[in-house]
Amino acid sequence: MARKKSGMNRREFLQRSAALAVGTATWPQLLRHAHAASRDRVTIYQTSVADSIHPFNHSSNPIYGNWQHVIEPLVEYDFRRKDYAGVLAESWQFQGNKWIFKLRKGVKFHDGTTFTSKDVPFTIEKIRDEKGGSLQAFNFKEVADIQTPDDYTVIFVTKQPLAIFLDRLENRFMLSRAAGEKYGDKIYENIIGTGPYKFVSYQRGGNMVFTRNDDYWAGKAAIKEVIFKKVTEDAARLAALESGQADFINNVPDHEVARLRKHPRIRIDQVEGLRMFFLAINVAFKPWDNKLVRQAANYAVDAPAIVRNIFDGIGYPCNGPVGANVIGADPKLKRYPYNPQKAKELLAQAGFLNGCDIQLYYSPGRYPKDREVCQVVAAQMVKGGFRVELISQEWALFWDKQGVNGGRLPFYYIGRGGLMDADTLYDQYFRTGSTKRTNYSNPELDKIIEEQQKTPDMKKRVQLLQQAGKILMDEVPFVPLYNLADIYGAVKNLEWRTRPDERVKAWDMKIKA
Amino acid sequence: MLSLRYLKIYVGGAILTVLVVCGVAAPLIAPRDPQAQTLEDRLRPPRWAENGLPSYWLGTDNLGRDMLSRIIYGSRISLMVGAATVIFAGLVGCSLGAIAGYFGSTADEVVSKISEIFLAFPFLLIAIAIMAFLGQGVGNLIMALMLSRWVQYCRVVRGEVLSLKERDFVTAIKALGGKSFYILLHHVVPNTFASVTVIATFGMAIVIITEASLSFLGLGVPAHIPTWGSMLSEGRSYINRAPWLTIFPGLAIFITVFGINLLGDGLRDVFDPKLRRQR
Repeated sequence: MARKKSGMNRREFLQRSAALAVGTATWPQLLRHAHAASRDRVTIYQTSVADSIHPFNHSSNPIYGNWQHVIEPLVEYDFRRKDYAGVLAESWQFQGNKWIFKLRKGVKFHDGTTFTSKDVPFTIEKIRDEKGGSLQAFNFKEVADIQTPDDYTVIFVTKQPLAIFLDRLENRFMLSRAAGEKYGDKIYENIIGTGPYKFVSYQRGGNMVFTRNDDYWAGKAAIKEVIFKKVTEDAARLAALESGQADFINNVPDHEVARLRKHPRIRIDQVEGLRMFFLAINVAFKPWDNKLVRQAANYAVDAPAIVRNIFDGIGYPCNGPVGANVIGADPKLKRYPYNPQKAKELLAQAGFLNGCDIQLYYSPGRYPKDREVCQVVAAQMVKGGFRVELISQEWALFWDKQGVNGGRLPFYYIGRGGLMDADTLYDQYFRTGSTKRTNYSNPELDKIIEEQQKTPDMKKRVQLLQQAGKILMDEVPFVPLYNLADIYGAVKNLEWRTRPDERVKAWDMKIKA
Repeated sequence: MLSLRYLKIYVGGAILTVLVVCGVAAPLIAPRDPQAQTLEDRLRPPRWAENGLPSYWLGTDNLGRDMLSRIIYGSRISLMVGAATVIFAGLVGCSLGAIAGYFGSTADEVVSKISEIFLAFPFLLIAIAIMAFLGQGVGNLIMALMLSRWVQYCRVVRGEVLSLKERDFVTAIKALGGKSFYILLHHVVPNTFASVTVIATFGMAIVIITEASLSFLGLGVPAHIPTWGSMLSEGRSYINRAPWLTIFPGLAIFITVFGINLLGDGLRDVFDPKLRRQR
């Protein structure tokens, strides 16, 4: 009797179950259409999104990209022109130990107040406030004074002439002093900038939401609302894009690229990334003190074959000491061709007639497919006359004073991220005494590095960097390998221009009807 | 039916024998050098599948190495690590357990406390911690596994010895003037062999799985030595594109552990007096 009361007999139950099953099966299809990029909103899933409401509490490229929607820098790097371009600054001059900036006129903050030179020292003070949580203070360690002679001029006085100051200033986003006075300690909760978008809301681990600033000084953006969400799991990001939850994702795994290229709704964009991978050589160790052995290593490693086979061809072998898109790259330089015979000859010349024992260190899981790469490198070097022992270490051990930064590793696989200017690599790895990573020391190279850091003229600086590059390609205290691609997945009707700096800018995006 | 009673032992023993032969004679059996990379032939499926090459029976991995040869060579590490760990952990655990059980008082206190400390941590966690500390290598791996496995032997042997030393035959030998160590070595310890054999076989299966887990986590042996665990780990990211990279090493681990467990089960049936009486 009780069964009758339930109001459903077996047949009804089966019918409803079937209906439910069909419904569930088609639901994702429905969702797919409902959520495809609308004209007004774009949802972006990234591996890293701001972890805090404090805009200076990080120094990470994708997160700079988040904040630049709201607050803007004085200058930024233009990858197509390969030079710096003004954002809030209109022009600048480098004179001795001074950098003089003329600011853009008529720029309004989101609260309607005008952006003036007074906002700059206010912001720099906030950026220098390490106790207040800023992780970007080191960028101004060479700045002795900031002067504002009038409303549209800012002068940075540095302790010494500093040609690469624009690189330090590139990601320093300007806050409003008026808002600072109004909100005091709560300035970051009420963040006001000059950017193309206004801040709406932020939840840690949840959504970061921006809405369009219709009065933006450079003309209003095409898309009205932007949502960033942090999703670290590759499979989850991919599933979100395929199901239509996300319109745009970063870091598509390369072995999924071939499949996604055939996807009817999804487009894959790839661009040469700024992380350069190489095998660093510490010349304090034998046999690496011998230049012939270092050259032999360069002949023995076939980076193009690694890119072709391990990364499915999605990568860019370095032709020279840095990738082609880096300031100071020399298009005339060529990498050492793969030639194991030549490697053997050089080893023989260096006195290693019966092979040469080396250890290759790496930290598995740090970089894409590092374990496979190092196994292939080892096999290639064996063909070139080396005997290679592969040693893997935990990252902390590998990187700290016991490892790379204590100068304890003779030969290791490493990636230098955010490499836009060759100076960064040369100064950090190959300048005498700057780190112990290679222990390389060459007074001639040091002189060039020092000189280019003082040179205001970009062309001359590039020439000097190219000169340094030539020395490095002859001396090879490393084996340059490749840059990998930054791979993005987007719904097909979303247009945007790929950038190599891991930044996703919604005001560069458009949605096709 | 004698043959049916020993069926588990026969089957388990046969599987283990095949594995031992594979491991010992790997250079003779394996069709290729397990480390030779042919990048052009990477990710080839098994020879019976479409696109398979006749020269690679089970296909090739992500670096173009022969899967069959790597699995055959992989058995070496699994068996060597399994056997060595069981022997060393057995020796350490049994002697400490016997001493603790037979002499009691302070010896028992010390050994029991130490073993309790080891028991307080999950077994895999101790192994991971030790490997992270010691670094990669076959010797270190055996050491780590031994340090985390000896406790089992110690506890079981201690318990057995505690009950054995009260038995009449021990009292009789004592009455005849037998010295402690003589009694322990000749009369008490041999009586624990049955239980130890059973734990050893089951223990070996656990050790093989742990070795695979550690290699999977990148904490096992160096990358160039093929092991089933590291093959699984490397094949994981290709599971959609090249499932054979994970299926075959997985099968190898499964069959090995199954065989050893079967053997252990059979041995227990034979040794366990309770089970014996029921027949």
